[in-house]
Amino acid sequence: MFEEVEKIKKAYFEDAKKVKTSDDVEKLRIKYLGRKGAVSSAFTMMEEVPNDKKPMLGKALNQLKTELENHFATLQQEFKASLNKRETIDLTLPGRKPNTGRKHPIAQVEDEIKTIFKGLGFVVEDGPEIENDFYNFEALNIPKSHPARDMQDTLYINDDIVLRTHTSPVQIRVMEKKQPPVRMIAPGRVYRRDTPDATHSPFFHQVEGLVVDKDISFADLKGVIEAFAHRMFGKDIKVRFRPSFFPFTEPSAEYDFNCVFCRGQGCRVCKQTGWIEISGAGMVHPNVFRAVGYDPEIYSGYAFGMGIDRIAMLKFDIDGIRTFFENDIRFLTQF
Amino acid sequence: MKVSYKWLKDYIDIKQSPAELADALTEAGLEVEELIPQVPYFNGVIAGKVTEVAKHPNADKLSVCKVITSQNEKAEEHQVICGAPNVAEGQYIPFAAVGATLPKGFKIKKVKIRGVTSSGMICSKEELGLESSSEGIWAFDEPTPLGTDIYPLLKDKEDYILDIAVTPNRPDCLSIIGVAREIAALTGNALHLPDINVPDEKNKSAQDLIHIAIEDASGCHRYAARIISDVTIDESPTWIQKRLEAVGLRPINNVVDITNFVLMEMGHPLHAFDMDRLKGPEINVRSSSPGDTFTTLDDKERVLPENTVMICDNTQPVAIGGIMGGQNSEVTAATRNILLESAYFKPERIAVASKKLGLTSDASQRFERGADIENIITALNRAASLLAEYAHGKVLQGVVDEYPRKHPQKKVSFRPEQVNRLLGSSFEDSFIIDTLKRLQLNYKNGVVEVPSFRVDIAQEADLVEEVARLVNYSNLPSKQYTNIQYDVETYSKEEELSFLKTKLIELGMMEIVTNSMLKNLEAKPFYDGNLVHIMNPISDDMTTMRPSLIPGMLKTLAYNINRSNNDLKIFELGRVFLNYRVKDIPEQPYRLAVVMTGNRFEENWAAPGELIDFYDIKGILESFVEKIFLDNFQFILYDASNIFSANETIALQANEKIIGYCGRLNEAVTSHFDIDVPVYGFEIDVNSMLQYMRTDRRYQPVSRYPFSERDMAIVIDRRINAGDILKLVKEEGGHLLQRVKIFDVYRGDKIPEDKQSLAIRLRFQSNERTLSDSEVDAVFTRIVNKAKQKYNAYLRK
Ligand SMILES: [Zn+2]
Repeated sequence: MFEEVEKIKKAYFEDAKKVKTSDDVEKLRIKYLGRKGAVSSAFTMMEEVPNDKKPMLGKALNQLKTELENHFATLQQEFKASLNKRETIDLTLPGRKPNTGRKHPIAQVEDEIKTIFKGLGFVVEDGPEIENDFYNFEALNIPKSHPARDMQDTLYINDDIVLRTHTSPVQIRVMEKKQPPVRMIAPGRVYRRDTPDATHSPFFHQVEGLVVDKDISFADLKGVIEAFAHRMFGKDIKVRFRPSFFPFTEPSAEYDFNCVFCRGQGCRVCKQTGWIEISGAGMVHPNVFRAVGYDPEIYSGYAFGMGIDRIAMLKFDIDGIRTFFENDIRFLTQF
Repeated sequence: MKVSYKWLKDYIDIKQSPAELADALTEAGLEVEELIPQVPYFNGVIAGKVTEVAKHPNADKLSVCKVITSQNEKAEEHQVICGAPNVAEGQYIPFAAVGATLPKGFKIKKVKIRGVTSSGMICSKEELGLESSSEGIWAFDEPTPLGTDIYPLLKDKEDYILDIAVTPNRPDCLSIIGVAREIAALTGNALHLPDINVPDEKNKSAQDLIHIAIEDASGCHRYAARIISDVTIDESPTWIQKRLEAVGLRPINNVVDITNFVLMEMGHPLHAFDMDRLKGPEINVRSSSPGDTFTTLDDKERVLPENTVMICDNTQPVAIGGIMGGQNSEVTAATRNILLESAYFKPERIAVASKKLGLTSDASQRFERGADIENIITALNRAASLLAEYAHGKVLQGVVDEYPRKHPQKKVSFRPEQVNRLLGSSFEDSFIIDTLKRLQLNYKNGVVEVPSFRVDIAQEADLVEEVARLVNYSNLPSKQYTNIQYDVETYSKEEELSFLKTKLIELGMMEIVTNSMLKNLEAKPFYDGNLVHIMNPISDDMTTMRPSLIPGMLKTLAYNINRSNNDLKIFELGRVFLNYRVKDIPEQPYRLAVVMTGNRFEENWAAPGELIDFYDIKGILESFVEKIFLDNFQFILYDASNIFSANETIALQANEKIIGYCGRLNEAVTSHFDIDVPVYGFEIDVNSMLQYMRTDRRYQPVSRYPFSERDMAIVIDRRINAGDILKLVKEEGGHLLQRVKIFDVYRGDKIPEDKQSLAIRLRFQSNERTLSDSEVDAVFTRIVNKAKQKYNAYLRK
């Protein structure tokens, strides 16, 4: 009989632990403390026990009743309190978000490039997108019949006015208006007569760099490009220079970075070479200096270019340039 | 330019593998874009031995063979059905086991042929892609270790093609010998040039049959010819055909193939005329006249640009000099006698003519970059000797060579120390001079003699590059520090543009970047002036430079709405292009534009979707001009825009000048971009904004004294603008009126029908003292009286 009392007690506390809803609370009450609940039923045992055991059993049953009632009252109160709180505010509902703007990924990368070069003592310059033939070609040592004009299929406004094919004309405009030393970059939009598809865009964005002073050498160019690569992509990225040809630089170079995905080990993106072609650079051609009235015997300088869109593609692992200019909001909100 | 590794080896010893050679050339400036093995890829083909050949029970022409691919006695025997008549016991053969992949992706599987199982295949050279057709299977000449993987063996034996991106300054590398010469300079190995023996006919002289006159001496600097008689037009020998095919040329006949062979070998374009179709004896080089036409050997009649160099006989033009021959003198199967031309044309003239004609050829590409004028006779003789040998022609005695003004030996003054100045290196003079010598650039007493094939070398800097190239750019020093100049211009427009962008982003606007080339019809409504059109547009979609940012932004809206991105708040900052002029570049001012559509906020459990209206765009603009500290600005009503709707547009004025418009876009405009939801936006001229931005921002002390507020419900005519009342309130309120807010606008039956009531909350505060009620009341009354006087306003009871 006393075991029976213990059993009821144990069962009650186990059930009490499982209470989750107000229904559960009510069910618990009915099951144990209700009119036909386990405790009431237990009192009927009194009739069956011998008289000498009755006082002890009665005491045990009353103790059980009090203990359960007390516990239940506390439980009910706690449950109500927590219920009230939850009904006031559901913290898991999403909040009210203000509209959030973002910079276009290309602008973000442009900012990053500018920050790096400003830190290296460069000034940021700007120039028109529609240019005179003179600035886009002639002054850059690319006369009308020069085969290098094939290299950049040009969009013309008329015979003497073009959509600039590179940011290099800004070099000329800056050198025309000031004397060395010059230490500038010029980011901006350029145009090519390329039929658009996933990997070609008829317009894209470049950064031009130019440094002119006494005693500037190819070693300075190598150093500055390496510094840029390290700051942009990390210290482990190596830079490779290869000879190339641009009419406005001599010596001219093409420069590659270690593939940023495999860090030079070779992967699908870099076609297992470990290198990714970035852009061109070189020592400013003496003819360019002559065109702007600098004396190439006194001054020397280097120039370089880089594609902003291309660097953004590497940085964010985007495989088609077109994605940038579709401006799908679901794309833009990723940056 | 496609270069065959095997062909290169005819002229120079190469110890490097094709891949090593490709790297070396790339590092020296001849960028190998692709290294193409001539054996197409296959795998799973191994050396096997035929151990048994028996007749197929059910097919006469098939044999059932047993092949082993391992010496191990317990090794599996493969049973293979073979159809080749030459299969025999004991042969070592290439065996494609089950699972092997042959060229073109053909996979070997276990099959049943006429009831007999075949597990694998004995391959012919054709099946391995090594020749275009095979008679039977390929039996190896010598025993090959069983199980050897065949592909790596072949790959190394057969040819590789190096696809080199030759830069336009290096026409001397547009030939096999040219590239070999470059390899010689890089490796120090000797060049073996072909021996040329022209078997001249002693009794007949070319001089007697033709006479060359160069009338256009500026267009053609040298013209040489030989005559080869009694040729037999036939296929050229296999070795020539193979060479041509390897570098991407299609064999035609021995005469054409030989001229092409010499073109590829030596880089000098030659042209063969059918001598009997020329009206001799005169060969006259002159320039074309306006309106001349000519039919080239591709059967196209072309209108010749004026001043094109033409090769003519006594009566008519027979070739466009340096670009393409004529149909009227083309070599045909019936040709017997040949006049072989080897000439030099001025690069600029060829470039212009080729561009105007829209016609380029292997010849024009080389002439316009610069051919080697001193190589003319060698190339001519090389072709003549090959024609004698492979077309059985008789080479008439002598070269007819018209070279009126010999090009002088090119000399470039050179100071070795300039190498170190420009490269930052510290090479010894002797090292520099020796390096140049490897490139046949001979230095003596401050001058370098440049060989005639190096048309790119014109000044000292070019020689510096040659040294750098041979040293390898990777071996040049790199500087880790530099002197930075402190005294530089600090004003940078770019920072101000960035500032404007940041302020809009803070207001929840998303930046976009769009194409600045538009369809004419998209651009037109946005500008009354002369639009800037592109002379040679890529397509009809991109003919006109944007005169406004709005059309590109509307295209972006449409693109997003089509993809169910409906709530859009976007901006762009970029140049627009205005006022086309012939002589000068157009105006290209920066603009800033915002465009919005859809719900004010993303629809959410707490906020039902509410569509954007005029006050949203105006609010953005108001906040924006505040954030950028625009000075002396005001909004005025504006109804004369083509783009914005007449009754929902305001203009932004700075310093009395309109600098932008703001409002709802006309439906006529938006529907043109297939947008059928309301769109609001503004566009502002950036320069004007920057001009009127306040840069001196001084602290205004915040008052320590209490403020008092008064509410004013003022009734006015509906046609009077709230803006006018606000202006009046501010003017009359003076310095004590610290803040004004309209908190309600009422129109309804509690006031007369033609009236509206504005509820205005005024806050008065002084920086010096606590204001008394009477002071505040006095100002309040002054405002009310002024409003009554000016606008017939009264306070609502
Ligand atoms: Zn990689």
